[in-house]
Amino acid sequence: MSEKKQQKRNRLIPILLLVTALLLLLTAAGGYYLRGTGEVTEGLEDMRDNAVLHAASVGLIDNIAQSARAEKLKELRADKDFRKRGLDEVNGICDAAMMEARAEAEKLYSNPKVEDSDALRAAILKLEEMLAVSGTLQESEHNVFSDIYVSLVESVADWKAVAGENVTDEQVLSNLKKASPELQSEASSHLLPGFLRMARDMAAKQAQEEEEELKNQMLSLLSSEIVDWSAYSGLTGDALWDKLTADIPELKENTAYKNDILAKAGEHILAAEKGETLSTPAGKEEGAVVLNDVQADYAYFTPTEELLRLQEENETAYDGLLQQLKAIIPDLSTLSNKLQATLRTNVEKVVWFEDSDFSSRYTLYAGHGAEQVLGAIGWKIKLAAMAKSLLLAGIAVLLLGLVMFFWTELTRRFGVPRTIIALFFVYLCLLAEQYNISVRMMMGNVLERMTMYGILVLAMMPGIQCGIGLNMGMTIGCISGLLGIVLSLQFNMTGFGALIFACVSGGLVSLPLGWAYSKLLNRMKGNEMTISTYVGFSFVSLMCIGWMLLPFNNPKIIWLLSGRGLRVTHSLLGSFAHLLDNALSFSIFGIKVPTGGLLFLGVCCLMMWLFSRTRTGIAMTAVGSNPRFAEASGINVNHMRTIGTVLSTVIAAVGIVIYSQAFGYAQLYTAPRQLGFIASSAILIGGATVSKAKVSHVLLGVFLFEGVLVFGQQIANSVVAGGGLSEVMRIMISNGIILYALTQSGGGRRD
Amino acid sequence: MTKNKILGHLEKYVVTYLFIALSVLFIVVSGLDINYVASQLLLRLNRNAFIVLALIIPIIAGMGINFAITIGAMAAQIGLLLTINWGVTGVAGILLAAAITLPLGAFFGFLIGKLLNKMKGQETIGSLILGYFANGAYQLLFLFIFGNIIPLNSNVTIVGASGVQNTLNLTGSVKLYTAVDSIARIPFLTAMYIFAGVLAGAAVVQFVRKKISGPRLAATLILAAVIAGIFMVPAVAAVFNGTHGREIRLPLVTWILILLLCLFNSTIMRTRLGQKFRAVGQSQTVANASGINVDRTRVIAIMISTVLAGFGQILFMQSDGIGTFQTYAAHEQVGLYAGAAILVGGASIDRATNLQALVGTFLFHSLFITAQSAASVMFGDSAVGEYFRAFLSYGVIAVALIMYAWRSAKQKRAQQISLDEGTHESAAEKEA
Repeated sequence: MSEKKQQKRNRLIPILLLVTALLLLLTAAGGYYLRGTGEVTEGLEDMRDNAVLHAASVGLIDNIAQSARAEKLKELRADKDFRKRGLDEVNGICDAAMMEARAEAEKLYSNPKVEDSDALRAAILKLEEMLAVSGTLQESEHNVFSDIYVSLVESVADWKAVAGENVTDEQVLSNLKKASPELQSEASSHLLPGFLRMARDMAAKQAQEEEEELKNQMLSLLSSEIVDWSAYSGLTGDALWDKLTADIPELKENTAYKNDILAKAGEHILAAEKGETLSTPAGKEEGAVVLNDVQADYAYFTPTEELLRLQEENETAYDGLLQQLKAIIPDLSTLSNKLQATLRTNVEKVVWFEDSDFSSRYTLYAGHGAEQVLGAIGWKIKLAAMAKSLLLAGIAVLLLGLVMFFWTELTRRFGVPRTIIALFFVYLCLLAEQYNISVRMMMGNVLERMTMYGILVLAMMPGIQCGIGLNMGMTIGCISGLLGIVLSLQFNMTGFGALIFACVSGGLVSLPLGWAYSKLLNRMKGNEMTISTYVGFSFVSLMCIGWMLLPFNNPKIIWLLSGRGLRVTHSLLGSFAHLLDNALSFSIFGIKVPTGGLLFLGVCCLMMWLFSRTRTGIAMTAVGSNPRFAEASGINVNHMRTIGTVLSTVIAAVGIVIYSQAFGYAQLYTAPRQLGFIASSAILIGGATVSKAKVSHVLLGVFLFEGVLVFGQQIANSVVAGGGLSEVMRIMISNGIILYALTQSGGGRRD
Repeated sequence: MTKNKILGHLEKYVVTYLFIALSVLFIVVSGLDINYVASQLLLRLNRNAFIVLALIIPIIAGMGINFAITIGAMAAQIGLLLTINWGVTGVAGILLAAAITLPLGAFFGFLIGKLLNKMKGQETIGSLILGYFANGAYQLLFLFIFGNIIPLNSNVTIVGASGVQNTLNLTGSVKLYTAVDSIARIPFLTAMYIFAGVLAGAAVVQFVRKKISGPRLAATLILAAVIAGIFMVPAVAAVFNGTHGREIRLPLVTWILILLLCLFNSTIMRTRLGQKFRAVGQSQTVANASGINVDRTRVIAIMISTVLAGFGQILFMQSDGIGTFQTYAAHEQVGLYAGAAILVGGASIDRATNLQALVGTFLFHSLFITAQSAASVMFGDSAVGEYFRAFLSYGVIAVALIMYAWRSAKQKRAQQISLDEGTHESAAEKEA
């Protein structure tokens, strides 16, 4: 009896939620209906007219206020008591004067009288039309330019070879066309001069950087080669130079830096005379590499003639509007040229903006104080503007109600965390819509990050299947893969050759490591996760020393000042950055699909699936899900665990190569430490447990995890300034899901 | 001692001996001034000993290394932040921070204990990940809740953005820097003489009360005499009394607190609660059968540990040479360094003593101080030393975990063999 009552109460909240959702949706429908009515459309247009006037007057008012402030300051300076006053007092007086002037100006200009509102409306509509046409065209041309720019930066490793000083313009152009086939088409021929300038600039920048590096290298030779500076005491100028070049022959070839070297040597000598040594800043060069995506520099952009013509027409349309505005607020003509330009941007922003819809237009106009013109129909417009938010809120409440209503069934089928995270993901999508963040663009990002992390997450699967649980020690494989990448850089390899070489050599290195690691884990049954975590951590720290001491010598990848030790971050631009992702890539609905990466992930998953169907695969899965049963049925448990662990390690090695190509950079040292945690949380979100995993868990998990991260990051950034919130969310989700999995497996040690 | 016993001892303390050898090697290689090493070492002992000692009770209760002591540190940092915010200075400020830490740490410890009870056998990794998770919650609190939902003074928040500043100053008008350390400082040599005296006195008292035997008394007295004697040797005394370099002094109150904690750890083991810890740590099934509430006992162990770690973090933050409160980073390495230190001292996943904790802290930090200089001598690069230190921390924990797992696997095998020899019925019983 009481159980039934309990059930009734459990159903009460969801039903209440569903009713609320219904109400919200009905109101939203009302709002959308209002949007269609003439009254509301007209009201919105009225608001725009008013907002344009406001935008125009704001600049004027600001100008007046600022000049009043400047005037007051001048007056104070002329006063002989000026020096006696404190900074705060002076500021206070000036600000007061400014406020006064502003208040007066506002009285004058805030509510300008419109004589001929039809002419103003016509001018605004004309400008809107022109801006819409030219804006769309400019965006598409910018996109073409940006694609070519990025592909050039990603594929060209040596700009000096492409556009050095002794390369003729024709040669540069043909080089560029080779690097980016899109440039060969007739449609992009007008962009060529811009790219020519860009290539020249890039080459010059590269040459300058190299020179700087060479100089630093020479200077560091001084401190590394010469120990006893007291022998140089008293030498200056050419005498010093002669002795230096005698001791360090490398200096002879670089007479260009003679002055710098002499100055540095002078410092050394001076320090030696005082009995000190100059500290060497070795190892302090890391960091400062910005890991952003390549951004196109529009300074090199050349518009088409069509666009130029449209922009000219914009000019006339704007002039028409300006005439109207000046008729209403005559003082506008007093503004300086610079302020006229600001005025234009302000006004154009109100008249037309990208991706405008009813509510964003309403918010913008209301922000310009245009609500007051509405009068009685104000609530209708407000409701129409809120329609979208209401609709989204309605959907959100509806979903929550439904999930709560079917909670038992859902959690039985999908598990608690997967249900919650899937719901969370849908909520994030709704929020993105609410904040006008392009869901399509973010879907593109999610796809890109799926190719980035997919293989790494796949590496967790054989580990779980063979019974070692979450393989936190997959970092061993990751480091092998990084070694492969660094080797490919050491030998200056490029293109698919480099990618394949990195994968294969990384995989080969990971084989013996994975084998030894599996032997260790076989003796530690029941404690694998703890041990693999710390073995992984230790290996990462050990390799930190390794990266410092391994005998790599390609100057592109080692620290220049100390002359050895690999750098922390290696740009793969010009090597194999985005190579796989860009292969066969195409755009659909504005989403860039990284076909190559997705295909590779798909093929790997398929192979993994096929493997788990083979006799070995089935035996391995049996070991993971029930080791006692497996042993009883004659399966060699240790052998299966070894196969699974080695497989996991090798896949991790390939995974990090794919990760780095998608990221565009390879990061060494402590960077791979947390990868095991990320991969674990992704596969767990997909529905795996610490003893069972399927390919579908990998794919769903990586999609949900990366989806939540990408959407969460964008939304967090628009809700709270500063990027901290999304990082907090990442930490809590990724560790929370591992904790949950541990509590599910816990309560007794698996033997 | 038989050969077997020596071998067993060596196996148990192999990491400790390795560290002693490495420490000596590094001190020699690095060419650092011995006075500098000694003063740095004492500084780090003052700071860290308390936190390391806070790890002992959960280890005895069979919960492994409680890496979730980072959460205790977070509780302490919340206390410190509020203290700074309210402008309470000096010893009163430290006491206030401790008063806030106590309920917060106990509450957090309660939650941690509850959660760890759901992942028995995986406590070490569970507490590590719980620490990471809590770090997220901590950032949420400090970045978005403090200053927005819970109002704070502008001197601790970032002007023009949300959240607490990255670093908070403990010096200046805040007056929390060395609030405990500077109450009383006595010369290190005097402290050692007092220590030897107290040791001898305590031994005599215990002998009179017939708690210890004659030979034991003699041994303790000789030990006390040796300690006092070593520090009377002019060459040794010169290191500490300021003849070479600076005079080394000991913060008395801090060390009284550390010794009190040692006393607490050893006294609680003699109470009924301590017996419960031990029983639960040895075998949960047996403890359960003898009527002990296993889960509750484990929760209490973690609660005590968390609160103590919080106090330890307060002592750490106020100690000499810190001076600033790294709001978002100060707690991050607490668990790692404390865990590594206690393992270096010869503790294992299921055994730990006060002495092991103190010796471990001493050895771990002596390597920590010298690694950088030694590496720059050996490899010509001090960054190698930096990475070597991280490797030591993680490596020690990995080795300790591996050795523990190895030993328990061996024991299990031995048990299995003895079971196989016994009747099948008892084997089935054991399985169930």
